[in-house]
Amino acid sequence: MRLLTLAPARRGHIVLAVAAAALSIGYADLIRGGITLGPVLIVIGYAVLVPAAILTWR
Amino acid sequence: MAMRRSAETTHDVPAPSYGIAALVALGVFALYVATLAPTTAMWDASEYITAAYTLGIPHPPGNPLFVLLGRVSSLVPIGSVAVRVNLLAALCSAVSSGIWFLVAERVLAAWSRVRWTRILAAITAAVLSATVFTVWNQSVVNEKVYTVSLAFFAIVSWLTVLWCDDPDGRFADKLLVVIAYLIGLGYTNHPAGLLVGPAVTLAVIIRRPVTIYRWKLIIAGGLAFVLGLTPFAVEPIRAAWHPVMNEGEPTGCADTIGFACTFSETTRTRLMSNINRDQYGKPDLAARQAPFTAQVGMWWLYFKWQWLRDSHGVQPTVQTMLAMGFFLLGVLGGFTHWKYERASFWFFGPLVVTVTLALVYYMNFKYGASQSPGLTGVAREVRDRDYFYLWSYSTWSVWAALGLAAMWRSLAARAAFDARRWMTSAPILLLGLIPLVGNWRDASRAKETATREWAHDLLNSIEPYGVLVTLGDNDTFPLWYAQEVEGVRPDVTVAVTSLLNTDWFPRGLLRRKIPAYDVAKGPEIYRHMSAAMPAKPVFSLSYQQLDSVPEYIDVRTPQLFQAGALKAIVDPSKLEYGVVTRGDLMVLQLLKDNLGVRPVYIARTSGSYVQALGLEPYALVQGLAVKIEPSAIAATPDTLAAAGTGHIDVLRSRALWSSYGAPQAMIRRGDWVDRPSVGIPLLYIGTAFMLGQVAEQRGETKEADRMRRAAIELAEGTRTLDYFVAPADQRAPVENGDSRPQRSVPVRP
Repeated sequence: MRLLTLAPARRGHIVLAVAAAALSIGYADLIRGGITLGPVLIVIGYAVLVPAAILTWR
Repeated sequence: MAMRRSAETTHDVPAPSYGIAALVALGVFALYVATLAPTTAMWDASEYITAAYTLGIPHPPGNPLFVLLGRVSSLVPIGSVAVRVNLLAALCSAVSSGIWFLVAERVLAAWSRVRWTRILAAITAAVLSATVFTVWNQSVVNEKVYTVSLAFFAIVSWLTVLWCDDPDGRFADKLLVVIAYLIGLGYTNHPAGLLVGPAVTLAVIIRRPVTIYRWKLIIAGGLAFVLGLTPFAVEPIRAAWHPVMNEGEPTGCADTIGFACTFSETTRTRLMSNINRDQYGKPDLAARQAPFTAQVGMWWLYFKWQWLRDSHGVQPTVQTMLAMGFFLLGVLGGFTHWKYERASFWFFGPLVVTVTLALVYYMNFKYGASQSPGLTGVAREVRDRDYFYLWSYSTWSVWAALGLAAMWRSLAARAAFDARRWMTSAPILLLGLIPLVGNWRDASRAKETATREWAHDLLNSIEPYGVLVTLGDNDTFPLWYAQEVEGVRPDVTVAVTSLLNTDWFPRGLLRRKIPAYDVAKGPEIYRHMSAAMPAKPVFSLSYQQLDSVPEYIDVRTPQLFQAGALKAIVDPSKLEYGVVTRGDLMVLQLLKDNLGVRPVYIARTSGSYVQALGLEPYALVQGLAVKIEPSAIAATPDTLAAAGTGHIDVLRSRALWSSYGAPQAMIRRGDWVDRPSVGIPLLYIGTAFMLGQVAEQRGETKEADRMRRAAIELAEGTRTLDYFVAPADQRAPVENGDSRPQRSVPVRP
């Protein structure tokens, strides 16, 4: 909820940072052979966080 | 009622009914769950379920986004792994229906000012789009990646409709950037993701031409598109871990993942080859594989299926009349769209044209498997490819519903709104339920367990640690599923001839670690058989030696093949390509390396392959497979000669027959809807007849009668009696082969 009360510009940056973190950790897990956490994070990153980051970007 | 003002439209745009759209999607999802396949199915279903579960790489282009989504689905603790992945297909199509509801509701904003009329008409669009045959049938089992593509189509469509409503301002710009991103992302699910691109571009140019001069926005869209493509990075990463399914092997890492081998030229070449589907060698568009009119005819054939599948051709006139009716309704719906909602028409109209006529031209198919069965001597697709037009039929059904809405309005509307007239004429929308009723029987996969049983039956026909040579999709992918997802008989090495023609598949066979045979889990007949794990790999060749096997040897006269005491005359003229291909050479190598070391079998789905390789004197039928013995077989009371198939191991085949689960599964389903894969039930029926004949030869009258009754019961249960009684020229072609349009073998006889 606190995210929603932030200034729009800052909210956009935070969503983008979370998206980047999810994808980075997801790919890192994939590179080390993981097939559970990695796919989950990558799917959330691509399907939810990146579109959200674009739409909230100022 | 909430309203918003649409830019450059003369009317207020009602707020979208997102809540009702969600309820509609939920209803469609419930329908799909009620008719969902409880396990895997024929063709590519097993391949994709296995790829998802193991995070492997399916056939090119590799579909990395689908594999990721499927893997996440497979983790949801509901039902079996197959059900979880099948539910992904159901969910995607249900979401699409919900979005088509929104699109239809928006298009009808100026058609009627009364909300409930728009909602009823939009629900009709959602129901029609969900129940046209191909969409429904593909949504109740994850046979392909196309339902995910459909969801992308629908989402991009809705975002474009929103953009068309108000193409100015920052939010509109962000919508365009998201659309560009989603098109890129959709491409990593399947190249069809790009099909929505031309319609979006046209809509942008027509609705707000100045947009194309806004270079910052263009660059942002381009970057978003490229970001959407990045899931392709999953392919080389996973390939370097060499999962059991590693088609195309898009990595330069031979053993373990590493920086240098991943960022190598080999990885780049193999990845691009996968993405571009080089393995299939699509012919030039100028060289039509069938006349364009015939290709449109193929689309029309499958269009007819959408409203009443009628898989046995019992009601051809009704089917054609319905198709013509819904075609005209679609035309009327297109006109209604143009008349009432010009802004989104410039997107949706081109989209319909792209996924229909343009796609027919681009796909450049041969004659369809079920098209014009009386026409002989023409090249045909191995299976019916109605799924390639899933987007066409889905979008057309939206227009057909708009056509129904237009008819409703013409019946009900007068100068002033008269609720009673609208209500009394509303039943015309019930025509939208025709596909729901007409397709239920054939589209539902609720009782389809035969493919899973078939996989178990075929694997269990193989002795421990055996090598099984198969021919194509339907005798291979279900086995991969059984082995990798269900853990059934992973000790068996499945070598499919079509993929043995590639370079990566033999390497994968050599690399594959064969687990110890689990006696307790294996069939009863092998309980007392000594089964020591062979120390040697299935190939005696190194990776380099395997890679050096030529694509084919252009020898067209019979050749002697010798392996120990086995001497076979290989007749190239009887082989698929008229010459000995790399795949055939690999099979011969497998025989040479494994006879006497581990049992070697050829699946009986392979037709006359045993004879083409000259192996008949060494061939011993055991259930659904033919075991190749190291030396010529002599007849005994339990090993009888069988014309055309070598010999039959009577006791083993009987024991296997009594353990088979597929015959009862097929009878329970009560039909075999997919005729191009009918070779599978026919194989069981043929086996029962063969066992009946054998019993007759042995003077076992009761057993002979029992097996013949079993054969007839199965033929009736799968509705395939016509294959045994109809004249040959009236039968549909029987194929068990590979569903890919092309293979890598360049030789043409």
